[in-house]
Amino acid sequence: MKTSKWIWFVWLLTVLCYVVPYGFLSDVQAWYGSFLFWSLTGLLIIGANIFMTKDFEEY
Amino acid sequence: MSESLIWWSVGIYVLVALTIAVLSRQGKSGSMSSYFLGDRQMNGFVSALSYSATTYSAFMMVGLAGLTYKGGVGALGFEIIYFAGVSLVAIFGPKFWAVGKKFGFVTPSEMLGHRYKSKPVAVAVSVASCLFLIPYAAVQLSGVGYLMQGMTGGAIPFTTGLMVATTLAILFSYVAGIRSVMWTDSLQAVLMIVVSTLVALLAISELGGFSGLFHILETEHPQSLSVPGSGLFSFVTFLGLTIPWFFFALTNPQVSQRLFIPSSLKAMRQMLIGFLVFGFVYTLVSILWGFTALAAFPDLSNADMATPTLLASDMIPPVLSALVMIGIMAAAVSTIDSIMLTLASMLSRDVYANVKPGTSEKRQLTIGKIVLPIIAILAYGFAQLELDLIAVLSVAASSGLAVMVPAIIGAFYWRRGTAAGVLVSVIGAGLFVVYAYINGGKVLEIPAGIWGVPLSTLLFVGVSLLTEAPTAVADEFLKEANNHRKTAQPAVSDNPTVKNA
Repeated sequence: MKTSKWIWFVWLLTVLCYVVPYGFLSDVQAWYGSFLFWSLTGLLIIGANIFMTKDFEEY
Repeated sequence: MSESLIWWSVGIYVLVALTIAVLSRQGKSGSMSSYFLGDRQMNGFVSALSYSATTYSAFMMVGLAGLTYKGGVGALGFEIIYFAGVSLVAIFGPKFWAVGKKFGFVTPSEMLGHRYKSKPVAVAVSVASCLFLIPYAAVQLSGVGYLMQGMTGGAIPFTTGLMVATTLAILFSYVAGIRSVMWTDSLQAVLMIVVSTLVALLAISELGGFSGLFHILETEHPQSLSVPGSGLFSFVTFLGLTIPWFFFALTNPQVSQRLFIPSSLKAMRQMLIGFLVFGFVYTLVSILWGFTALAAFPDLSNADMATPTLLASDMIPPVLSALVMIGIMAAAVSTIDSIMLTLASMLSRDVYANVKPGTSEKRQLTIGKIVLPIIAILAYGFAQLELDLIAVLSVAASSGLAVMVPAIIGAFYWRRGTAAGVLVSVIGAGLFVVYAYINGGKVLEIPAGIWGVPLSTLLFVGVSLLTEAPTAVADEFLKEANNHRKTAQPAVSDNPTVKNA
């Protein structure tokens, strides 16, 4: 089933939302630091949800 | 901005919204599922806008902008983790929807009561929801109060703003129940996203565009662009804020009840994706408001005044700020009326009808309509206390509701879960969270938000293993939940009380 595959991608993104800004970007005080990272992650989450729910269209 | 401009704007908004509310009435709303769920026939577009308006509220434009002003970019991370949590709708949404249709559930607490074969479960979950959501509604009211006071320089006092918002919430939910709530929500959502995006773009261009804004931030407030930054978003605090919000879509009944409403799974998909797109734009706009206020007015004493100060400044034309102010007020109202409606349905169906078995649908509806304004007045009283930082208070409500996570997930994934497990976990962990907030929000230096979910999971699993599970009901429930792709059948008639109890 498509849903279960994509949801793991979302959980991975969730973990990265903690690890990357606190672990790797805490010294990057510019727009291309945590601001860009979290914004792009938001877009990826939307994409994952679109794929995850693709077969809802049929019901 | 002049007082008369604000009152004229409020007047026009009320007139348009009330017209829409009245037009949304269709046929008779004489049954519980008709009044509270729109007969489970709402389309995806309206559902998406309404879900957005219900979720996002004064908290975003006032609280989140304030949080950004005070703590920097960590506020964005906080929202994006919430955003990831909304993906739970893709997993649980079809399951809620299928069992709702099959068993005729009107409220999420009714669903849990049925699944765990226990009236006390339905009662406890409903009462706990009220305990945490009435303060949450109050937070939204405070947002309106701060906003109107801030934008008029005190000419419209905090209390007047509260009264206007409370009255509107009662009116919008009374006219046609969920239908009027969802249609007025839709109007409010569209107004909000269009006008607030315009304001963000205008304010940023005043500061020299995105590069100008970020240049000011990078040179004058560099800490605002990283975490932990100025210190507000220490890692532990961030965890405490984000864990409860991650589960918001499941634990907050005013949004989880919406999973019963779409007419089809296709409509549910439209609701989810529509909400995510809306939420993404709205989140960025709110964060940028906070950043713009920080760049332009770095010396505010109260972070919650960041948005009102920005809107009242010369950067924004008065007519546009009046429109946004109406939009924010509308967003607060749309959250409050949804909360009121959901809590009223829970109190009448899960508390009253369980305490007085055999209560008819009609009687339940009457009780629900009586409870509605009482909830509003309670929220009004709480808001008058003028509590300090809106966002943090709002999260306290989420921490409290997060103790229901194991009971909800267990309902769909663990047939060994028992009513005793739910009761001990919800009441035990709920009391613990309340205790933690009374004592400054931390226990053993760990925020209450971190404690709630693991503690309630431990209690739920431990007590469930020691007690006997209602396996027959569980099997039937799980079969329906997992067969959602085949459940495109009409709903059964709505039964008034917990079944098989």
